[in-house]
Amino acid sequence: MMRYVLGRLGGVILILLAVCLFTYLIFFKLSPDPAVMICGKTCTPERIDSIRDVLGLNQPLLTQFWDFLSGIFVGRDYGSVHCSAPCLGYSFQTNESVWSMITARLPVSITVAVGAAVLWLLVGVIGGLVSAVKQGTWWDRSAMGLALGGVSVPNYVLALVLQYVLVVKLQLLPFPSAVPFADDPLLWLESYLMPWVVLAVGYACLYARLTRSNVIDTLAENYYRTARAKGLSGALIMRRHALRPALTPITTIFGMDFAGLLGGALITETVFGLNGIGKMAADSIAKNDQPVIMAVTLLAAFFVVIGNVVVDLLYTALDPRVRVVSS
Amino acid sequence: MSGELFVVDNLTVTLPTSRGPVDVVKNVSFTVGRDETVGIVGESGSGKSMTALAVLGLLPRGARTSGSVRLDGAELLGRSDRDLRSVRGNAISMVFQDPLSSLNPYYTVGLQIEEMYRTHRGGTRRAARRVAIEALERVHIPDAARRVDHYPHQFSGGMRQRVMIAMALCCSPSLLIADEPTTALDVTVQAQILELLGELQSTTGTGMMFITHDLAVISSIAQRVLVMQAGDPVEYGTAEQVFSDPRHEYTRMLLDAVPRIDDEVLS
Repeated sequence: MMRYVLGRLGGVILILLAVCLFTYLIFFKLSPDPAVMICGKTCTPERIDSIRDVLGLNQPLLTQFWDFLSGIFVGRDYGSVHCSAPCLGYSFQTNESVWSMITARLPVSITVAVGAAVLWLLVGVIGGLVSAVKQGTWWDRSAMGLALGGVSVPNYVLALVLQYVLVVKLQLLPFPSAVPFADDPLLWLESYLMPWVVLAVGYACLYARLTRSNVIDTLAENYYRTARAKGLSGALIMRRHALRPALTPITTIFGMDFAGLLGGALITETVFGLNGIGKMAADSIAKNDQPVIMAVTLLAAFFVVIGNVVVDLLYTALDPRVRVVSS
Repeated sequence: MSGELFVVDNLTVTLPTSRGPVDVVKNVSFTVGRDETVGIVGESGSGKSMTALAVLGLLPRGARTSGSVRLDGAELLGRSDRDLRSVRGNAISMVFQDPLSSLNPYYTVGLQIEEMYRTHRGGTRRAARRVAIEALERVHIPDAARRVDHYPHQFSGGMRQRVMIAMALCCSPSLLIADEPTTALDVTVQAQILELLGELQSTTGTGMMFITHDLAVISSIAQRVLVMQAGDPVEYGTAEQVFSDPRHEYTRMLLDAVPRIDDEVLS
């Protein structure tokens, strides 16, 4: 087991390195010259040269990449400015340290992701479960119809409609503004409610359909029939012989979806003006702020890769059939 | 016949289909005595398994039954699901065809035996675990104290069916329903399982309802035989009588279909 974990972690490091390299090549080598961008309107060739020098753009490509990489772990110097580890460079737009931009915005994205995940798991799994048990009834049909509709509604449409109805027309909620929990718990809840709902709706509908079909499949399994033939109580049959097998595959999908969201909910954050990683990504792309684009890409890759490993390890714990045989 | 352990009297099972209700079991009657094995034979679709599921109230949703099924004189048909739970696995237990899919892959075989024992007999997990180990020993699973913590996929096909049998017998039921218990196994393992069932029956006195399409298996284990065709009981009698002097055309056809080692090879 230990060897398996170490092997997986080794793989993770390789994947992250590869992601680093490709993102670096794409964003620094294939896009417009950063020095020209930084230099702005009143630019002289001398100034461009000195910027190139500070950023290390005159170095060979491999050296530049190495500087970038080692900057993350040990920090690096830009001319006279020292950027301490973990250094992801400075924003071309604001000159802010990219790392401190991330640490300031990550809590917002995490709050959005966690709240939405709780919501969609509760609604999706319970809704799907009830539908499966009441298969073919009016509840099942209307819930699944609704779920199909919910999957088809784009995020930004729902966000704008909700905002118009709840904030502008009915004035039930304040405009979302990422209020820290410690400042005002109630306002915090109110301001995150809409982003959570908007993000959760699509996933909840998907998870409801998934849960329903998984549970229905499980109810047709021979071991479910065995459990009934054994005379076990209804609750025990449901918990051990229906839910456990039906929900185990959902943990895999959940892990991936959740990890993806930690890297920022681009549309939701942008529409609601929440200053999270997603909005930062959108802004940086619009302004071609390369160090920031690079950082958000790496961050997303990091979460997805780590999420993958966590899901795999979790799965070996949840399903004995994929458990690694220890020799 | 008073004193019979298990009586099925005029059992009819009706399933709803898109083309209206269909009788899948029609007026089936037979009895099983203590210590006795009754074989139910027929092709697939003849209603054998439906008969077995009807006994425990495990029929698909919408199924209707009529007639009477009595264990020790107590009527089972028409009882509520909750009411039947105390019978299932306790007084009547069942062994199914495919032991791999019939055991839950997510739990150790020990836990699957324990949960059944504790449901009917209560007691601590420790006590139930001892029962599980003893049950595995009784079906000759080597190293039972260690194997009790293994998962179904870690057993071979024959060993898995032994686990199913150990589980079925852990509450000392008075009737065991074996639904094609050897069909998914290869021939040598089949013989071992049949031998085991015979051995366990002689020590526990459990009555057995043995469902199969395999006449050779029936002839080696059953004292009485019921032959079914498309839901109809076509012949019922002692094994000897049914095999040596089949009254019904269909039984004769079934018997003729069994390949014999002394058959002449067609040239």
